[in-house]
Amino acid sequence: MPPFRTARRGTSPITIGLLLMLTVGFIYFLFSAPDSPTIRSATKSATNALSPPSLPFIKSKSDGQQPPPPVVHYYMSNLTASADPVANRETVLILTPLARFYPEYWENLLHLTYPHELISLGFIIPKGKEGNAAFQQLQVAVSKTQSKSSKKRFASVTILRQDTESPLPNQSESERHKMENQKARRAAMSKARNSLLFTTLGPTTSWVLWLDSDIVESPKTLIQDLASHNKPIIVPNCFQRYRDPQTNTPAVRPYDFNSWVDSPTAQQLAAKMGKDDILLEGYSSMATYRSLMAYMVDENGGDTNKEVELDGVGGTALLVKADVHRDGAMFPPFAFYHLIETEGFARMAKRLGWTSWGLPNYFVYHYNE
Amino acid sequence: MHRYGYSNGQPAAAYPSAGKAAFIDPHNKFQPRTRSMLRRYLPSIKIGGIIALVVTALLIFFPGLRSYIPLSIDEGFELETVRYYDLSNVQGTARGWEREERILLCAPLRDAAPHLPMFFSHLKNLTYPHNLIDLAFLVGDSKDNTISLLSELLEDLQANPDWKEAYGEISIMEKDFGQKVNQDVESRHGFAAQASRRKSMAQARNWLLSAALRPTHSWVYWRDVDVETAPFTILEDLMRHNKDVIVPNVWRPLPDWLGGEQPYDLNSWQESETALALADTLDEDAVIVEGYAEYATWRPHLAYLRDPYGDPDMEMEIDGVGGVSILAKARVFRSGVHFPAFSFEKHAETEGFGKMAKRMKFSVVGLPHYTIWHLYEPSVDDIRHMEEMDKERKAKETKEREERERMEKIKDQFDNPSSQWDKDKSDIRNMAKQEVEASEAEKPAEMRVESNNGKARIIDPLDEIPVLGEKPPPSW
Repeated sequence: MPPFRTARRGTSPITIGLLLMLTVGFIYFLFSAPDSPTIRSATKSATNALSPPSLPFIKSKSDGQQPPPPVVHYYMSNLTASADPVANRETVLILTPLARFYPEYWENLLHLTYPHELISLGFIIPKGKEGNAAFQQLQVAVSKTQSKSSKKRFASVTILRQDTESPLPNQSESERHKMENQKARRAAMSKARNSLLFTTLGPTTSWVLWLDSDIVESPKTLIQDLASHNKPIIVPNCFQRYRDPQTNTPAVRPYDFNSWVDSPTAQQLAAKMGKDDILLEGYSSMATYRSLMAYMVDENGGDTNKEVELDGVGGTALLVKADVHRDGAMFPPFAFYHLIETEGFARMAKRLGWTSWGLPNYFVYHYNE
Repeated sequence: MHRYGYSNGQPAAAYPSAGKAAFIDPHNKFQPRTRSMLRRYLPSIKIGGIIALVVTALLIFFPGLRSYIPLSIDEGFELETVRYYDLSNVQGTARGWEREERILLCAPLRDAAPHLPMFFSHLKNLTYPHNLIDLAFLVGDSKDNTISLLSELLEDLQANPDWKEAYGEISIMEKDFGQKVNQDVESRHGFAAQASRRKSMAQARNWLLSAALRPTHSWVYWRDVDVETAPFTILEDLMRHNKDVIVPNVWRPLPDWLGGEQPYDLNSWQESETALALADTLDEDAVIVEGYAEYATWRPHLAYLRDPYGDPDMEMEIDGVGGVSILAKARVFRSGVHFPAFSFEKHAETEGFGKMAKRMKFSVVGLPHYTIWHLYEPSVDDIRHMEEMDKERKAKETKEREERERMEKIKDQFDNPSSQWDKDKSDIRNMAKQEVEASEAEKPAEMRVESNNGKARIIDPLDEIPVLGEKPPPSW
């Protein structure tokens, strides 16, 4: 600093002021020294980048060799998933397989009233043109939300990219729902969900909320409301808002048909099937006569707390106790009891002794293309 | 770039008054200040400067003091909350150590304290770069000092001055499942307890994996702590095959009286028609376990195919895998394959894992001639047998000792009987001679000498040898 050296000749107070400033600077750097493990925040955070993605970590500030990561104990016996998750400071991992980014989805996410410092987000985005676009939009939104001044900041955000395994490049709604494409599509979707789940589920996570990227509207208290039922697996009813072409008024219609109670017809169908065949819901060519939660809605707004035990669940919005996943319940990418993905997940959870529940009068809304 | 975030990223925060420096006009800097101003401010400036210097010096020389001063910086500022990962970089390749692929080493533990020192000696010897290996342990329902010993050994491991010898992330998950099954050898391997034991083991493995698997892992290695002998290069050796799931052959050494060695892990096998037919007859929750007479599956076992002189690189397709030492690509676990804690296609735990991996079209391979050795823990039968052998040995020893003692006793009591006998012999001869001389006319007496064990004994029909000891030894 040449001005500093020249000014030294005079005994100007500015000189001494500068000296003071430097001293302050020195002190500042002393605090930000990398080897000060005593300085830890009150919220849970890791000291090393090699840590569960569900925890934020203190970034390393020095060049060269890092000290080896510490030995970390996680007391998983003390981990709870209770009806009052806020009071018990239970952490929630929100997982979203992202194909397209909808700003409404992000807005809805930001408006959740569950304490954001207890929420970790996880995204998995396929590579490719569409994925790249979604990734960029997500990145913009994330960097804004996670900036240090943001009040809506989440505990951590993990963004995974993966090579597209889906044999269907065209993700348009009509193509996506063709029956013959369903098995391959949902198998790829299962693998994406599993990859996301098993790499982001940390030792401190209590709940996992599966939220599809096209869920654009939900109650602000979604997590608290679903958790208050204290069920291992719980799913709200997923509807879609649209404009009725006849009356030209806003209306709603059922969207997700994967939440159902099994029927003898479906079981007979399954018994006749080959090992790798799957049963699908919502196709007239395969009438299963299962009781769909989408049609269990009580007229004129029934009790939103009404619970129904289910045999299959949909994944558009789905709250799961992390223990269920830890026991091994995942989204089978193969025919598991002739079921696949989220429906297969409910079956696998049942094999492990966990039951699935639905809230027919509690709604989340799907984007309308 | 982040590393310098404090110096140039946020100048306003780093130098709170740096803005003032911008007002220094280079053209005015030589102008003398008014004396009065300087005089007015000098003392306070001096005192301030001295205090600042002293504080700085203190903080430099006593780093411990730093923590006492409240931190003015926003804590959140230095927290990293967003992470990006590309899963296509962590698919796992044949030469992972060259691509710096990370391995997650998982070991479920329960009452394992006696084996830990051996396990850690294996860890230290692994040739795969240690900083690329993350360790994860799940300790559950342990009644011994597993946790304290484990933490101690791990701290030692990480305290290694050579940073290359230190491991990556180390996590110890503590979770009690409340299992009632005993972990001793007999109840662990008894048939009746197998299904529930395998299911709870599977649960522990799943908890461990789901808590420890990260987006940075290319491989997952499962290793039991009670492996006694394994090549140091085992990770590279298995990795070179570039298979999704691969296991070595697991044998165990045995005492000589049991044949010297024995196949240990019978859970690595190829599916057979018999077993598939058997599976169809069982109910939904039944679990087929190998190595028990209850289920005759006629499956080809990896363990029995071992040839000590066979090619260690030879591969064999298998359907069920044993859990002693499994190397799998992390993508296998990412895509959802796990250790079923329920009956999956009539199998649970590692065997179910193999089945599920196969179901998802992953390659599952065993190496019949590449062997690692499991610790020999004697079973209850073995212990009984060993006790019997011990008893026999002791009985034999006692007998021998008694024999020896008695012989000595006899020796002592007979006190050099041969010289006595020689004397007696000559006495008898003399007597006989005299008798012969005395009765020349009479019929001569018959005399014969009997040889027994090289010791001469004279049997005189006229005068049987009078009793010398109490009674003659029976062997004579």
